[in-house]
Amino acid sequence: MRYDFTPQQLAWRDEVRAFLRENITPALLDEQREAGNEGKGPLAQQFILAMRDKGLWGIAWPTEYGGLGRSAIDQWIFVDELESAGAPMLPLTVTSVAPTIMRIGSEAQKREWLPRITATEVDFAVAYSEPEAGTDMAALRTRAVLDGDEWVVNGLKMWNTMAHMATHNWVAVRTEPEAPKHKGISMLIVPMDAPGVTVQPIYVWPGLRTNALFLDNVRVPRDYLVGERGMGFYYAAMALNFERLSIGSIAMARRYFRELVALVRELVVDGEPLRRQPWVRERLARLAVDIEAARVIGLETAWQVEQGAVPAAQSSMAKVFVSELSQRIADAGSEILGLNGQLHPEEPAALLHGRLQWLYRTSPLLAFGGGTNEVQRNIIAMLGYGLPRK
Amino acid sequence: MELARSAEQQELADAVERFCQQQITPERLTAWGQQARGIDPAAWRAIGALGWFGLGLPESCGGSGLGLTDVGVLLQECARGLVPRSVINAIRASWALARLDADTPELSRLATGDAVVALALDEQSARQPLQYRTAIEGIGAARVRGEKWYVPNGMHADWHVVAGREGDGLSVVLVDAAPTKRRALRPFDGEEQAIIAFEGAAGRRLTPAGDGAAALHRLQREATALALAEMVGGAQAALDTTVAYVKEREQFGQKIAVFQAVQHQIADMAMSFTAAKHLAWQAITRMDAGTEDGTELDLAAAYVAPAFKRLTLAAHHLHGGAGFVVEHPLHWHSERAQALAIRYAPEAPALEAVATQLLGE
Repeated sequence: MRYDFTPQQLAWRDEVRAFLRENITPALLDEQREAGNEGKGPLAQQFILAMRDKGLWGIAWPTEYGGLGRSAIDQWIFVDELESAGAPMLPLTVTSVAPTIMRIGSEAQKREWLPRITATEVDFAVAYSEPEAGTDMAALRTRAVLDGDEWVVNGLKMWNTMAHMATHNWVAVRTEPEAPKHKGISMLIVPMDAPGVTVQPIYVWPGLRTNALFLDNVRVPRDYLVGERGMGFYYAAMALNFERLSIGSIAMARRYFRELVALVRELVVDGEPLRRQPWVRERLARLAVDIEAARVIGLETAWQVEQGAVPAAQSSMAKVFVSELSQRIADAGSEILGLNGQLHPEEPAALLHGRLQWLYRTSPLLAFGGGTNEVQRNIIAMLGYGLPRK
Repeated sequence: MELARSAEQQELADAVERFCQQQITPERLTAWGQQARGIDPAAWRAIGALGWFGLGLPESCGGSGLGLTDVGVLLQECARGLVPRSVINAIRASWALARLDADTPELSRLATGDAVVALALDEQSARQPLQYRTAIEGIGAARVRGEKWYVPNGMHADWHVVAGREGDGLSVVLVDAAPTKRRALRPFDGEEQAIIAFEGAAGRRLTPAGDGAAALHRLQREATALALAEMVGGAQAALDTTVAYVKEREQFGQKIAVFQAVQHQIADMAMSFTAAKHLAWQAITRMDAGTEDGTELDLAAAYVAPAFKRLTLAAHHLHGGAGFVVEHPLHWHSERAQALAIRYAPEAPALEAVATQLLGE
């Protein structure tokens, strides 16, 4: 029964749930809302350390580095439960940068960085995009030139979220200007306290902060280039793949949907229970159907990973489906709430803490971020069904 | 490897696929369209010899004793390969009869395809069993009075599984087709259908008198589940033929598959297909294993049927005129998409069922 979890998977789910019950407090959820989901308040930090102590950072890590050696389905269950509960997400350092270093770093680099990540001494922001290099990441221009034993870095990175709180940056730089554009990129670790690093805030529509990162003759040690020179594009793709399991998860939007349904069951509008309105019933039913569709697509993605496949087309499907569905959930939900649906999340009278309003403003990011949905659709057609590039 | 299938089920699917590739061609389907059952008698017998009619019937009557999931795999591949509807409907009805009464003696002739049973359920103005006007009565042996419409395989069936009102409840009986009056109906997709008039016909009870509602409900849910498998098979065929076509077709000096507008439509078809496949198979496998939470079939019905229609219409669009000519098999899938949706998974009732799960009545 592949659509049902095995007894071992159910036991794992119960273990995760028990952990979440014990560690998610109303105060933490309040902090989460106020922090705009950046997961950086003191209670969130405490929660993330509790996950570490329970070994939950290591789900995507190889066992030789203290990973749990659990399956992709177990990881999917973990992400699903975490997001369903409204818990702070694990930072990219843990879910994306660390497992990449484990696979591509030299022995010395692993010894240098991994224990410091685990000790939370080191926390990364991730810098791939530039003003002229978004979905076309290989077009990036930030240069790193070797000068003696140091790289000298110059350039401008965009959407460098969390850079203002990070200790280090995981930066894609061009080190081989003569090579074809995909083969001239390397991954470089840049300490945030290095001279020449400047962070400038950028505020975006949902009320979140991200940053521009200016790198002006920044000097970093030669061995801060992780893995092989010129392989950075592929390393970044690997890191993004680790990230995708959570981007393609419907669990967060599903939580908002469940809260909406519970509310609709109670609301009375114009003297009638709102749940009796045919248009409310139809819109919620359509969303429930699509949410279940998104869940099973995600489950298949995890299952393919577990079978040893690289689900490139599949994870693109999950990303497209979930991002566009999140928009529909936010839109329908806000309309169903009527005039209350236009209240700001910080307005105390806003139902569901204004989360649907927040999701409405966030959902474009889900669709254009992480590689726009247009490119994801091309990936589905080309990698999934063999349509030609040219 | 597929999430939806075991290795044995994949073998079964491969065998059906091979048969369809060799035996079911557009030319033959066109010729068979003139025949009473929509299929050449020799081809019907060949399918009988392969054991498809008995796949889900008990071994005691010569069947293979396999379950709902396996019959679903069979029907998915039959639909994908455009095996005529009369075959698929015969398999579905025999499965339903065996589920009502696994010891009924008619099953041995049904298992070989030598005889056919039809499901005579819907009426001209009633789809909900409690609205049926067909009446069943009698102590012990039953008598059936009423008229059933849109009965698949109705013209050539040897027996009918008939559901009707009895007292305050419902009963299901098996009626010999010989003494009934039949009139052929002509649906747009060429499926063989009939109106059957029962004028006091003798029936053998398949459920206790007046106490057949639960059995009938299960029968209809399983029939719908099998139809979802058919829809997935048809959707896959529509997607595959479209992918192949856009890789061949050239316009403006290049394959149309390189155009992003085309790639994006293929991607949307692929997403619909993937979601439909998993929702359908989640419902079928859980129904088979008895692990349903009660929502799966409605969720699947509300998604799969519209997705199949959407996919076939997109397939037509991307094929242009090449897929519009009657010689191209695409239109058969498109017809089945709409016919199956109307009979087994109309969207609005499926959505209302989902809404009831979410919000109550």
